Amino acid sequence: MITLSLCLLFLPLLSAAVTLFFLRKNGNVASLLSVFTSGGILLLSLLLIINSEDTPISWDITWFEMGGWALKFGFLLDAPARLLLFVVAFVGFLIHVFSLGYMADDSARSRYFGGLSIFMFSMLGITLADNLIMIFVFWELVGFSSYLLIAHYFTTEDAAQASKKAFIVNRVGDFGFLIGIVLTYWTFGTVNLSELADLADFDPKLTSTLLCLALACGFIGKSAQFPLHVWLPDAMAGPTPVSALIHAATMVAAGIYLLLRIDFLFTPEALNLIALLGAVMGLYAGFCALVQRDIKKILAYSTLSQLGYMAAAFGLGMPGIALFHLMTHAFFKALMFLGSGSVIHACHHEQDIFNYGGLRKRMPITAITFLIGVLAISGVNFLSGYFSKDAILLGAYNFNLPVFIILYLGALLTAVYMFRLYFITFEGEARSHNSEEAKENNLLMTGPLVVLAVLSVIGGYHALFPVSLLEYSLPDIEMVAQLPHHMWMIVLGTSAWIFGLIFSRSFYGKVGEDDPLSSRFPGFFDLCRSKLFFDEIYDFYLKKVQNPLANFLEVMELLFISGLMVRGLAGVSALFALLAKACYVGKIHAYSFWFVVGTIAFIAYAVGLIAF
Amino acid sequence: MESITPHHFLILATLLFVVGFLGVLIRRNVLLMLMSLELMLNGVNIALVAFSRSSLNLDGSIFVFFIMTVAAAEVAVGLALLVALFKKRDSVFSEDMRLLRN
Amino acid sequence: MNFVDWLFVVFSVLTVGGGLLMILSRHPVTAAMYMIVSMLGVAALFVLLDAFFLAVLQVLVYAGAVMVLFLFIIMLLDVGPQGAKSARLAWLPGLAGVAATFLLGILLLSFLPESSVEGTLWPSLEDQPYVSGQNLGFSTQVSAFGFGLFTKYMLPLQIAGFMLLAAMVGVIILSKKQQESQA
Repeated sequence: MITLSLCLLFLPLLSAAVTLFFLRKNGNVASLLSVFTSGGILLLSLLLIINSEDTPISWDITWFEMGGWALKFGFLLDAPARLLLFVVAFVGFLIHVFSLGYMADDSARSRYFGGLSIFMFSMLGITLADNLIMIFVFWELVGFSSYLLIAHYFTTEDAAQASKKAFIVNRVGDFGFLIGIVLTYWTFGTVNLSELADLADFDPKLTSTLLCLALACGFIGKSAQFPLHVWLPDAMAGPTPVSALIHAATMVAAGIYLLLRIDFLFTPEALNLIALLGAVMGLYAGFCALVQRDIKKILAYSTLSQLGYMAAAFGLGMPGIALFHLMTHAFFKALMFLGSGSVIHACHHEQDIFNYGGLRKRMPITAITFLIGVLAISGVNFLSGYFSKDAILLGAYNFNLPVFIILYLGALLTAVYMFRLYFITFEGEARSHNSEEAKENNLLMTGPLVVLAVLSVIGGYHALFPVSLLEYSLPDIEMVAQLPHHMWMIVLGTSAWIFGLIFSRSFYGKVGEDDPLSSRFPGFFDLCRSKLFFDEIYDFYLKKVQNPLANFLEVMELLFISGLMVRGLAGVSALFALLAKACYVGKIHAYSFWFVVGTIAFIAYAVGLIAF
Repeated sequence: MESITPHHFLILATLLFVVGFLGVLIRRNVLLMLMSLELMLNGVNIALVAFSRSSLNLDGSIFVFFIMTVAAAEVAVGLALLVALFKKRDSVFSEDMRLLRN
Repeated sequence: MNFVDWLFVVFSVLTVGGGLLMILSRHPVTAAMYMIVSMLGVAALFVLLDAFFLAVLQVLVYAGAVMVLFLFIIMLLDVGPQGAKSARLAWLPGLAGVAATFLLGILLLSFLPESSVEGTLWPSLEDQPYVSGQNLGFSTQVSAFGFGLFTKYMLPLQIAGFMLLAAMVGVIILSKKQQESQA
């Protein structure tokens, strides 16, 4: 069992190493190797899940020791880990297969697939980790692989800037995370998750809002919540499968997963705060998505919005529902991203939706699967998204009414912009040459789409899944099923998506080159496009505050540390050398003179005139 | 005046030594420097013999014997070196023998 | 103060005066002459100290051999009188040197303890039998020197011999004409 886990974890690392050392030039072999590796990962994780059904796998070894504290490297494969492992492995495998088709004409395939392997390694590390420090290590590794993959087209300015932005913003969140880890160790004396759970159980007073909010900073950075959400839309500069895997299904879900792992530490105030932040994010991202033109950016904002939903679910005290929504979201969001990838690939890398149109007739499989994804995310009844979203809304209605209102408005907006996306892209007439030429892609790309579409349909029926997978979410699902006002919620939810569909159809049914919203409600349009000026604020801070400070520090460093201390020390030695050199003339008389002086000094010391 | 004591001899020896040292310091001619060196050695000899006489120990005198031997050999070698140097530089002044300067 | 003490004064003035005049004279030959005078003074002081053998040695070796050698070299190198220009005595280092020397002298003199030793300062000399081993008694006889040299100081004697040999060989080599380089 342990060896199985170790193989699982290190298999992608091995594949990445082989790609790095031997397969740089050989893109074909690298891509096949990577796909087979991800297949292997899927098999191994299924084996692990089946075998760990009764008892969670828990194991560790000491990595190194410092004083009385040992840093351990270990695995904890319990209920939430199993579900995330399944999601990561399964969706990862499908995306690897899709990448085979999507990146077929890319010259730097080895680099891409190597990066994907490193990402799988890091993500599996986060999933399996059993202590906070190990999570942090793999956290950073995931951030690094994200940086690597976003910068795949590094020759373009967009991609280079975006990867830097992603990494740096992530780092800011990780700083808070690190402080949280230190505080945790200080308060509890351990960073191991199981021990923390026991300790928190034993004495709930130990934890504090500061502690859990600091740890939640990691979540805010990684899952792009407010105020560190600015990197996710820009990260769409990477290849589409990367966006699907990392920025929709798995990495951003790692933040939610972290919250789940430490949920025993959270105080009610912190939970409230997170719920509120998540709900606000859900709504804000909806407004932003409504006015985007780039298909991937719309999907990115929708990811932000859904992450807000998951955060709200967690904050409302339903972590199991959060995980459940994470799973269903992974399915339909990956589906939609891959669908958009298929569209982009067919239209020769055109990404503006107003240059699409009429693709349903030309790319039927993509269109139908994409539609299923849209229906799922809008909460159409009996699809997967419906079950998880409904649960969240019901919980919000019963536990925290303001949050519910915000979430419901968000749900309305989701339906509106998702149907907008569908109608503009797939319906109507082709609006550009690229769109006219589009044709359906090959099986490598449509296959995963179909599989994900099926899962998006049936993914909500928790009875279909083995108990081992959904073990973490089942209690919450049961609990939600017992909550009152269920009927009212069904009505509200259904009306939300129907309204969205009708509104979208009428507003965006027939469009030209420009967004109809910009002509009808320009003020509102501009407000939404501004995204509340977050990017501008950060830019201002960077240029006007941080850069001058950095320059000032550089000058200080040059003056004092390099100049005074480093060269100064050298200067003092040089001074002594100069003094010594001055005695070194060639004249005998000078030498004998110094001889006398030396003798006088010695005699004076012997007599007692000078004392040392 | 009291009778001459060993102290007087020591003062004399010191004076002779200091005079010789002064000669070494202020003369530029290497020959004269060597002669001043001999003067210093003589001062030391006087001190040694005075000690030998006042403590009734012949060791001091025998040491003077050896000092004389060494001084003679040293003068011989030193002058030979000076002659060799003179052949190269045509000068006996120490300012012209400064190859080891900085 | 008796006659011997006055003799001491005379001879010490001779010695130190000769030394001073030597270091201050302009012509090297003059300096050598003064040096000989100083050496003779030292020999006389040795006699006053009852070290007759050493006095003779002083005259023979120092005044007779060493100074003659000096004179030979002076005449060989034809060193002229040291004029004010050729003396090249820069006054500041010279002054510093003089001051340093005086300081040295004062310091050395301060070593001399002001002890008042009762009794005779010069212990009397009866003819002591020279005892072999560690304690060589002071004696004016040359055989005492011989005895000490060949028993207690045998090793230094041999080494002195070797050293003289080495000096001789070295001098011969140093003063050889370089025949090859003159071709």
